[in-house]
Amino acid sequence: MSGPGFENLKALIVEDNGHMRALLRALLNSVGIKDIAEAGNGQTAIETLRERKSDLVLSDLAMKPMDGLELTRYLRNHDHSPNPFVPIIMISGHTEKYRVEAARDAGVTEFLAKPITAHNLFARIAEIVERPRAFVRCDSYFGPDRRRHQNDDYTGPWRRKDDYQDAEVR
Amino acid sequence: MPRSRKPPAVQFIAPDSYPQMLSKPRAARALHTLRTPETAAKAQAAMEAAMPAMRAAILQYVQEMEQAQGDTTKLFDAAHEIRGFAETAGMITTGRIAEVLCRYMDDLMRFNHPLDATIVTLHVAAIARAARAEDDSVRTGQAVASELAALVAKRLSEVEQG
Repeated sequence: MSGPGFENLKALIVEDNGHMRALLRALLNSVGIKDIAEAGNGQTAIETLRERKSDLVLSDLAMKPMDGLELTRYLRNHDHSPNPFVPIIMISGHTEKYRVEAARDAGVTEFLAKPITAHNLFARIAEIVERPRAFVRCDSYFGPDRRRHQNDDYTGPWRRKDDYQDAEVR
Repeated sequence: MPRSRKPPAVQFIAPDSYPQMLSKPRAARALHTLRTPETAAKAQAAMEAAMPAMRAAILQYVQEMEQAQGDTTKLFDAAHEIRGFAETAGMITTGRIAEVLCRYMDDLMRFNHPLDATIVTLHVAAIARAARAEDDSVRTGQAVASELAALVAKRLSEVEQG
């Protein structure tokens, strides 16, 4: 199999730890991604993205002054977002359920728990390439469809448990 | 079952309707690349090359943690960094103890509950000892990690029960 795969891809690593940035860069290099920009927090990431297109964003969660959740919300929702559809892999050692849910609700594409392994990072990238997700726009959310499993037989508009709440209390 | 309100207005945008990271032919080649033994070997070499610097950084964070002296934010930040990449640097026990400490601190700080200084001190000492040990996989280190995890689980359960 020949021809470019990842070779022309532009990636952005947003991470406040220099060692982790270097490791992520080396791992992306190993699949052929060479055009990689780096930023130390969400704020500088936005500035970088305004100047340079990125096809993939790897972002840490906890950073100052702007963390990965704020960055994700900006990229998904802001009028001046350079690319609201850009795939975002959120990388974090904070793996508590409420933080993972916060990342999902901010609109990340994939969540990668530290410690990082090449296998896990590549699995997340493969997921983005192999099974790109539909985007959802509603009053309270814009981002990748948060449901991983689709019921192909279901055609109705009601999709959530709390859609039934009002009916059940009557 | 009757419904009492209108369904939410939701727009679905199919993957074919927005720009993808890679075109379909490039995606197939990229997936192939991700799964080749050559890529795995390159990635493994990259991980191994990064390890010495990461180990040195862990020891630096350990020192910061030891010097935090009651500064909870500083302590949590250092523990979080250690948890983040100690295991990637091959310091498994160090990472596991840091994970327990982070979980303990995170849960208590979230509920504005004071930290137990003894639990924190025990963890800091255990992390430092594990990080500085020449052989990270020593049984004693793993036993200490398990005992501390049990201690934290018990303490968190007590806090949850009020």
